[in-house]
Amino acid sequence: MNKLILLVVILFMGLYSLAQQKFTIGGTLKSKRTGETIIGGSVRSNNAGTVSNDYGFYSLTLPQGTHTLEISSVGLQTQTMKIELNKNTTINVLLDDAAKELEEVVVSATPRGRSLKSTQMGVEQISTKEIKNIPMLFGERDVMKAIQLLPGIKSAGEGNSGFFVRGGAADQNLILLDEAPVYNASHLLGFFSTFNSDAIKDVTVYKGGMPAQYGGRLSSVLDIKMNDGNNQNYNVSGGIGLISSKLNIEGPIQKDKSSFLISARRTYADMFLKLSSDPSIKNNALYFYDLNAKLNYQLSSKDRLYLSGYFGADKLGVGDLFSLKWGNGTGTLRLNHIFNNKLFSNTSLIFSNYNYQIDIRNGADEITLFSQIRDWNIKEELQWYLNDKHSIRIGVNAISHTMHPGDITASQFSSFNSLDFQRRYSWENAAYVSDVWKATDKLNLSYGLRLTAFSILGAGDFYNVNSAGKVTDTLHYNSGEVVKTYFNLEPRLAASYVLNTSSSIKASYVRNVQNLHLISNSTTSNPTDKWIASTNIIKPEISDQVSLGYYKNLAGSKYELTVEVYYKTMQNQIDYRDGANTFVNGAIEAELLFGKGQAYGIEWLLKKKEGKLTGWLSYTLSKTERKINGINSNQWYNARQDRPNDIAIVAMYQLNKKWSLSGNWIFFTGDAVSFPSGKYTVGGEVYFYYTERNGYRMPNYHRLDLGATVQLKNKKRWSSELSFSLYNAYGRENAYTIQFRQNKDDPSKTEAVQTALFKFIPSISYNFKFK
Amino acid sequence: MKLLANKFFFLIMIVLFTSCEKVIDVSLNDTAKKYVIEGNITNEAGDCKIKITQSKDFSENNDFSGVSGAKVTVSDNGGAAIVLTETSQGMYESTTIKGITGHTYRLNVTINRTEFTSSSTMPVPVNLDSLYIKDEVFFGNSVKLASIAYSDPVTIGNAYHFILYKNKDKESTVFVTNDDFTNGNKVTNDLWFADDNDDDSKKLKQGDTVKVVMECVDMPIYNYWYSIDAASGSSNNATPANPVSNVTGGALGYFSAHTVQTKSTMVR
Repeated sequence: MNKLILLVVILFMGLYSLAQQKFTIGGTLKSKRTGETIIGGSVRSNNAGTVSNDYGFYSLTLPQGTHTLEISSVGLQTQTMKIELNKNTTINVLLDDAAKELEEVVVSATPRGRSLKSTQMGVEQISTKEIKNIPMLFGERDVMKAIQLLPGIKSAGEGNSGFFVRGGAADQNLILLDEAPVYNASHLLGFFSTFNSDAIKDVTVYKGGMPAQYGGRLSSVLDIKMNDGNNQNYNVSGGIGLISSKLNIEGPIQKDKSSFLISARRTYADMFLKLSSDPSIKNNALYFYDLNAKLNYQLSSKDRLYLSGYFGADKLGVGDLFSLKWGNGTGTLRLNHIFNNKLFSNTSLIFSNYNYQIDIRNGADEITLFSQIRDWNIKEELQWYLNDKHSIRIGVNAISHTMHPGDITASQFSSFNSLDFQRRYSWENAAYVSDVWKATDKLNLSYGLRLTAFSILGAGDFYNVNSAGKVTDTLHYNSGEVVKTYFNLEPRLAASYVLNTSSSIKASYVRNVQNLHLISNSTTSNPTDKWIASTNIIKPEISDQVSLGYYKNLAGSKYELTVEVYYKTMQNQIDYRDGANTFVNGAIEAELLFGKGQAYGIEWLLKKKEGKLTGWLSYTLSKTERKINGINSNQWYNARQDRPNDIAIVAMYQLNKKWSLSGNWIFFTGDAVSFPSGKYTVGGEVYFYYTERNGYRMPNYHRLDLGATVQLKNKKRWSSELSFSLYNAYGRENAYTIQFRQNKDDPSKTEAVQTALFKFIPSISYNFKFK
Repeated sequence: MKLLANKFFFLIMIVLFTSCEKVIDVSLNDTAKKYVIEGNITNEAGDCKIKITQSKDFSENNDFSGVSGAKVTVSDNGGAAIVLTETSQGMYESTTIKGITGHTYRLNVTINRTEFTSSSTMPVPVNLDSLYIKDEVFFGNSVKLASIAYSDPVTIGNAYHFILYKNKDKESTVFVTNDDFTNGNKVTNDLWFADDNDDDSKKLKQGDTVKVVMECVDMPIYNYWYSIDAASGSSNNATPANPVSNVTGGALGYFSAHTVQTKSTMVR
């Protein structure tokens, strides 16, 4: 580790190389029609080039003289301008929408990281246009389901929005919405994600090679950015679907300068319940809603303020008997400041909250269980475009976590006692620095370091637990006392080498550290899953990943081939003891076991980016295993999400100006599961005997989905379209669960019963837009 | 309570998404047979029974025959070991042992020179105050439920195992609870069970006789019943595992010293 630090120091010392007279152009890229800032737009002059950052800011340093700048972004018209560069200059650029015909042919975006030169690898991007075209369950467009069609990203199950990246667990994905972590990104047991696709501007997934500004989870970063809102015109758009309806309103507050966006979605399954005359049905509740809102305000030519918020909740209720409510709330306040053409600053104040509440009523007995995780988070980042060779990022981040594992409130004559589980407090601090160095025309390097300090704070009791899971000692800490601080250094290294005009190779190494852990025994996302912070016994999870990639543009960049291999090790992985009960007010450590994991694989992606037919073919061959003392006789075993083969084919076809068609086909090896290897009797019932963890497999999964969209009207002020989709078009009965039980009619026999969920699910939705 | 919430949740999901079920063939490995010990001592005389069977392969029938010829002894609070006699194949009994609260009982089973041991402490008896049938409405369906009430003692560490009978039929659901969240209270407990596939035969109907056996068990036995229920593979998607047994030596099953009390009522 010390050698690494030395290496980084030496590399930074190389930054100050003197060169010929150079000047810097800086500014902001925006869409002319909407005024939305452009993320990842390209600004080039011959061989030199840069891309705009998350706020549309770019900086390009060029030698003195005449240059032809080419400014481009996917779906927008490329602009060229001739400039005479003899001083540092600010150039703000507005890009026009692409001509209609062009828009229809260039559907897919090339991920920024995929550009041959960029050192970024292991990155996937999906455009909102692609999300719109991919057929989905119940016709509900979903970012988190769309990304599951990309290599290395696996679905958490039938119709599920949860996902696994490169062998990691579901809680090892950092899901960010405008920088705010979202702790439970699913609605309705995972069948829908919390992200309303109408409000989303950009979706990027990092599977490996995470830049130093991201940290806190082992496997991936899903970075979702909301639209800023149109600062040119008012727009009202919406959609009516089988499951939900959506409405989106945006417009200028001050033309060219500031804008707002409000986007709402609500399901209405419960509206049908209301129609019932039976009061016992009428009183049931079942819905979720999402509300996204954003304001942005230009304070001066150098300062811009963004305020964005998300609030979403689910409610499930059975008459007066039982109700379960859960939801996320996030808020982000950001200030951009442009010091000069080379130096950009962003300051963020972020709030993030997840809670659930269960109410149970049984006669006079009323009980409420409340659980919450709440973060306050402050971040400062400087992006310093030092010269034409180096661009540097420096940042600091501090997060305060407060967790209420469970507060029980019981009525006076309840069977239950009122009880507040111990609150848990922690501080997560990080500082990072990274540099992207264009070493030569062919070689690019990026190197960075992230230092994290995770402090566990009192008040509270902490425990010592022996190997048998018995508490041997209880340690008391007062409020504000530091129980323990975990320091970790996370190197982030990457290199790219351009082989020729159409191909390159890349390599990367990253270390990630995770201090918040989701304690869940179930594969489906459950709103009552419990987040816990590291303690004196639960150590930070650490992963090290190396990856290598080959990138090639084929047929004049119409096609793009990507091949990446990776190997990842994971330390301090967590699993349950057999028979664990995690709903305890005390030493949860006594219920847990710790071990290690490894994952490796190869991912292919062939993408067709142009023409009437666009889409991709993705294939992943991978393995992921765990070794935890106390499980599977201390031998390596397959992680539940181990699925050696995973194939996705996605095709979108623009039939004519009115109709577009789409289809996707998915195949994967069944999950690794534990099936019984024998049976026995206790108390007259038959029980099953298990000999190994995840030693069996579910049947292979495959499915075809079809979709079609027809443009109904496309006038200047009004447009509308109708979308049809058919989920699981050939009605494959994919196993959702396999249960073992006694045959009802012949109790002398046992049988395996497969449950399949969705077969031939058609849907229709109507979308409109007032301009 | 959270378990109850999860059960509700799972039931609701089943109601929501009409799923399709079918019996499939799964090729399961065969494994070496394991001994299964079911040991019970109660506070009633003549109720010390140890049953020994063996596990089978999944494809075999559900006829679990007893294991004969084992040497089975039980000792009371460190006293001399009493040898149990085999009354029928695999069933070992003693008429002399009657469990006493606070006493620790040791079980020793030797089969073909392999020894299995266990111990269990009989807890304080807690009175089953009442058993009654109540109606609840669940998604438009009226459901009859057996509900029980007892007063949990002020000291912590009480655990209960209930067995529900409808007429002569034992309900397969494991009902187990402890006083983690109910200590010292008058506790009412609805014995909810899932009726797979809307199986009407399990539903409580007018005229049925409902019987509930309440067992006050010690914590290791609570853990056994809790884990056999939570990780038996019948619950939704949780990783299944073998229950946490208090028998050492590699046998399946349990050895429980518990108090028993029974109440019956008629569904009206």
